[in-house]
Amino acid sequence: MRVLLTIWVAKLAGLAIRVLGRAGTHTPGLIARKLHPGIIGALRHPSRVIAVTGTNGKTTVSNLLTDALEAQGLTVASNRNGSNIAAGVASLLIGAVSWTGKPRVDVAVVEMDERSARLILPGLAPEVLVCMNLTRDSIKRNAHPDYIAWILSSALSESTSLVLNADDLIASSLGTDNNPRVYFAVDRLPSDSDRPSGAAVDVGICPVCDHTLDWDYWRFNHIGRVRCPNCGFRSPEAAYRAHSVDAERSRVTLELDGESREARLINANIVNVYNEIAVAAVLDRIGLQRDAIVEVFDHIQPPTTRSAVEEINGVKLVRLLTKGLVGVACSRSFEHVASFLGRKAIVLTVDEVSERVTDVENTAWIYDADYEYLADDSISQIVVGGVRRHDHALRLAIAGVDPARIVTIESETGAADRLDLMGVDDVFNLHSVHNAVSTGTVVQERLRARLGEIS
Amino acid sequence: MTLTIEVLFPEIANLHGDLANIDYLAQCRPDARIVRTGLTDTPAFVAGKVDLVYLGAMTEQGQLKAVRRLLPHRERIEELIGAGTSFLFTHNALEVLGTRISNKDMDYDEAGVGIFDLESTVRMFGRYNGKVLGGVPEAGAHPVLGYKSQFSMVSGGVNLPGFLVAERGIGRNTSTAVEGVRVNNFIGTSLIGPLLVVNPHLTRGLLARLDPDTEPVLAHEDLAIAAYDARLADFRDGRRWHPFERVQ
Repeated sequence: MRVLLTIWVAKLAGLAIRVLGRAGTHTPGLIARKLHPGIIGALRHPSRVIAVTGTNGKTTVSNLLTDALEAQGLTVASNRNGSNIAAGVASLLIGAVSWTGKPRVDVAVVEMDERSARLILPGLAPEVLVCMNLTRDSIKRNAHPDYIAWILSSALSESTSLVLNADDLIASSLGTDNNPRVYFAVDRLPSDSDRPSGAAVDVGICPVCDHTLDWDYWRFNHIGRVRCPNCGFRSPEAAYRAHSVDAERSRVTLELDGESREARLINANIVNVYNEIAVAAVLDRIGLQRDAIVEVFDHIQPPTTRSAVEEINGVKLVRLLTKGLVGVACSRSFEHVASFLGRKAIVLTVDEVSERVTDVENTAWIYDADYEYLADDSISQIVVGGVRRHDHALRLAIAGVDPARIVTIESETGAADRLDLMGVDDVFNLHSVHNAVSTGTVVQERLRARLGEIS
Repeated sequence: MTLTIEVLFPEIANLHGDLANIDYLAQCRPDARIVRTGLTDTPAFVAGKVDLVYLGAMTEQGQLKAVRRLLPHRERIEELIGAGTSFLFTHNALEVLGTRISNKDMDYDEAGVGIFDLESTVRMFGRYNGKVLGGVPEAGAHPVLGYKSQFSMVSGGVNLPGFLVAERGIGRNTSTAVEGVRVNNFIGTSLIGPLLVVNPHLTRGLLARLDPDTEPVLAHEDLAIAAYDARLADFRDGRRWHPFERVQ
């Protein structure tokens, strides 16, 4: 009866919130967990529950899986428009049952915040858990990837079947020997190298004998394929692999547990190649026909990227989300900047908004970020705006950027006016998440206007 | 003189940007010899002269590995500390040299190397994030500024001197202002930042101690001082401190 009461109160709360014109994706679950802390486990779940987690890619993979399953005619509950912490998952599951508590969908696809696993997984006990990767995130909140892996493993049911990234030795180590598991991977790419570089490499030694590992290929952070020259330990073999990535033709070959299929490449970004093979692996494990799996990619699209490019008077203006507090995310943005071949100028504004006035941001994370990508003669100027501008300027100098090319200004938005646009081919607006509108949009408009004035 | 700086176990002790302490020292002293000692290597300090031994932030499992690798060299480490060799152990590296590391959440209670009277209690769901400000002799009138972002709290013997006494923020744990450990030229501190990048005056003092015959030069001095001054002004602003950052 307590479960039913909780369902009714949460559903009524959701209805009330929607009447008020709000989305109401989080509050019903919040209320439900207050009334019944074990509600996630107490509810009847859909016959299939697939959970998706990891540092990067979980939203995209959850959405792709939802689209793919719906295209098969299945009814799917997902939290694509809600939150991925415990309250959001509770909301999803309450939405997936009737007023009498009976499941009313075929499948639940649950995007799960990896740090919230201990509040979600014991009750959810999904049939399948996909872990895309575990890389460094917020120092304050997530500490290090081993910590997150421990949280996930501690909360996992041994009945859960794991779909794990073989190229990530931390993510691939989740669970116990009792968990059924398969692995996915992306075969060596021309852009890969033979040894790791950068500040945030969290796999360096053999988990068996502590010896320094050799790499068959290294991609970024600790993503790649390793072997131990001392004891013979190797990265796990992946039954699901993507290879022959052809960005021009938008084609990729997917190895599906011994069967090779060519499929449409949904996006050439390496993160989305991983997303595609992970989706294929999950769909194969839950029994979708392989023809149908390949066909899925003809019709589904990853969400738009976190960058936008426009051309004004022959100059590319690139707006790029560069998540502050997360060094590895910034590294990927800086790497993206470095991939442009023209003469470049950059506005960098990645201060943590919540710590500008009532705290002092711990900028240790900037030394987990590879600012070295920006130490290139093709970058004529970097204007750093914000409270912690001097820290970023010092980091840039330590990375090898000529201090003469670094400009600091307190005003984040004012940084757009300090950028020297003469002779520049590519202009970058690198901002964080919480200042995307207050700074990112304003800087973008100002840069757009200034580039429009160039004759 | 040519400085020899040994970085212990960089393949596992590389969290929280702390290896930048060494990158910065290397830029301040481009002539320095940086020795990177892997987990399965014999440390250079065992048989040779090393001017500074450094160990940085690592995972909880990394701490246990570091203990196992350093335990055979306990006497040598004690000898070097006694003889005035400089050490810098940051974040949770100091705990490796303590008597115990207890972690109920991960279900272990292990002996440390046992050089210092320190016990570490690790709480995997009790991460502490805060700031610390306090004076040290190496930096003269310029207080050290640092951050704590850690699962562990440390209890130290009453006679064990700290690296600093916090003017603001907490020390080894929430009930003391005594932060870290200082024995001769051994400095152990939980502070990250990275410490030597965020505190150029401390770095200058450390360089002067490592090589008294050479005038210390700070890499990118103007930028480093500007960043320090801006952070010091912020640290001096009482609105930026939370109740949990006070000694209880």
